[in-house]
Amino acid sequence: MAFLRVTTALLLVCAARLGAQTGKASEAQVKAVFLFNFAQFVDWPPTAFPDTETPFVIGVLGADPFQGFLDQTVRGEQLRGRAFQVRRYRSVEEIKTCHILFISGPTGDRLDEITASLKNRPILTVGDDDGFAERGGMIRFVTDRSRIRLQINPQAAEAAHLTISSKLLRVAEVITPVGR
Amino acid sequence: MSVRDWPIKRKLTAILVVISGLVLLLTSAAFAGYQYWSLRQATRDALSVRGRIIAANSTASLAFSNEADARELLSALRADPHIVAAVLYDKAGHVFAAYPADLAGNAVPAAPGPDGYRFERRRLIGFQPVEEAGSQRLGTLYLASDLEAVYDTLRLSVVIGLAVMGVALLAAYLLSMVLQGTISQPILALAETAKAVSTRQDYSVRAPKLGEDELGALTDAFNQMLGRIEDQNRALRASQDELQRYASELERRVEERTHELQERNESLRRNAAELLAANTELDAFAYSVSHDLRAPLRSIDGFSQVLLEDYAAQLDEAGRQSLHRVRAASQRMGTLIDDLLKLARVTRAEMRTEDVDLSGMARDIAAELQRATPERQVEFAIAAGLKARGDARLLRVALDNLLRNGWKYTARRPGARVEFASVDANGGQAFMVRDNGAGFDMKYADKLFGVFQRLHSAAEFEGTGVGLATVRRIINRHGGRIWAEGAVDQGATFYFTL
Repeated sequence: MAFLRVTTALLLVCAARLGAQTGKASEAQVKAVFLFNFAQFVDWPPTAFPDTETPFVIGVLGADPFQGFLDQTVRGEQLRGRAFQVRRYRSVEEIKTCHILFISGPTGDRLDEITASLKNRPILTVGDDDGFAERGGMIRFVTDRSRIRLQINPQAAEAAHLTISSKLLRVAEVITPVGR
Repeated sequence: MSVRDWPIKRKLTAILVVISGLVLLLTSAAFAGYQYWSLRQATRDALSVRGRIIAANSTASLAFSNEADARELLSALRADPHIVAAVLYDKAGHVFAAYPADLAGNAVPAAPGPDGYRFERRRLIGFQPVEEAGSQRLGTLYLASDLEAVYDTLRLSVVIGLAVMGVALLAAYLLSMVLQGTISQPILALAETAKAVSTRQDYSVRAPKLGEDELGALTDAFNQMLGRIEDQNRALRASQDELQRYASELERRVEERTHELQERNESLRRNAAELLAANTELDAFAYSVSHDLRAPLRSIDGFSQVLLEDYAAQLDEAGRQSLHRVRAASQRMGTLIDDLLKLARVTRAEMRTEDVDLSGMARDIAAELQRATPERQVEFAIAAGLKARGDARLLRVALDNLLRNGWKYTARRPGARVEFASVDANGGQAFMVRDNGAGFDMKYADKLFGVFQRLHSAAEFEGTGVGLATVRRIINRHGGRIWAEGAVDQGATFYFTL
């Protein structure tokens, strides 16, 4: 039994290394990790956590593109004593306690509605649609030659009483929304 | 020259310089050691602070895979020339970004080691966890710094230490040159004084006293000793003078005595010569008297014989008896005179020294005695091969007298025996004539050899009392000695040396 367990462990390690060496973690995987990491570089106002038991919620609005990687990433993780939770929403109305919200797919005009309905609630909005940041979203994933880059709209975050770490700002492209 | 033979000045200086050098060396070594240790600590602290800052700054780069940002962050290390390598590893332990950009892959660990900072092969390396406050770990920062800063400082402090030590030693040397005088000066003064004393034998010099310390006490003691020696010398000289006086006095007295003795000797010699002359005169007188006495004696004997032969008829028996007595007495007197003449001859005869066969001579005499009186039965025991150097004629007289003596005094002894042999006497050779005859009383032993001294009456044993005197004179003329041992009726033994 012990032998089997060790062998399995070894096989798993080898597989992990193999994947790492090819360097090509899937885009979905990288985005899931990034989403999770945002929690560490953004400060939420105290009102975002009514009590100490309130979990840290990462929500996905619309179709889930993460192929289960998001659940995998947050499983067992904690942030300042809070556990992570992944929630999936079909509409904005369903959103109650949420800290990071991934708005999937092309949003088009829908984005304005969504932001309007969130009404500066302390929710970090993340998307990957073109012009997501310019149009009121807070952070956009930009795929650039198989790398994921970030675009950040600090004004939007500020409006939602979120403080984005300067460190995060440094590794991202800062966007100033047009016509606002 | 060994250290032991160094002059005291140099020894003192050397001791001071060595001690101060040692103290300086130990102090410098301790300081350098402490400096090295604290420098290492400081370097480690500095690196760990730097590591923490970079780690804190690189969290976002790691979290959001921004390698360009990470590289830019690391490149800031260019400001510190001692940082030789810096690497950021991602969460999985793969190299994410490295500094410098052209860092060879094998110059850094392929995977992060345990967290912490440590010294490793002349380098200081550290693994710093990269994590955003309170959350999970994002990766690891590796930093490697050479220790040139430490070594440079250390080198500098060694150089400074050596310079300080050189200056300090020089100062110590100069100071000791000045200060050692307080110790060496009194000692040198003492040594100088001692030398003066020993070379010039002058005990009147005194060592100068330069202080009240132990050396001062030593100087005092030394001076006191010199004073005592001086006193003793004076006393010695005085007693020597006295001794000299006594010696010359003694010499004078000895001379006086010698002179007296010489005078006494001179008078003795004169007396001896006078005595000798008198003796010779006496001998001559005795000789001439003896000689002159013989003629009247012969007349007395001759005419007594004529009377007895031609006028016997006219004489009565008493007259004849008287005449017979006259004849016997005159004949005895003749013998006496003959013996005296013989004794005188012995004294006057000239000595002719030659080898003499005493054994043969004794045998001849024994045979003669036997022939003259064949009725006596006497056993002669004569040792063979006895030889001596001397005058043969005189020795024959002596030996004849001794053997005849033995023959005579054994006349009443049955089993008479006369022995002639050689014995050992006080390491030298002595001859011995022993008989078992009448013997003598030892208290008269000194009278045996006197002229006319007899221990027995003529009626007992005939004799004149001249024989042994003659023997002694012969032995004396040969430079020998004669003595006798005996006891009444136990026989007598005569010993003589030649």
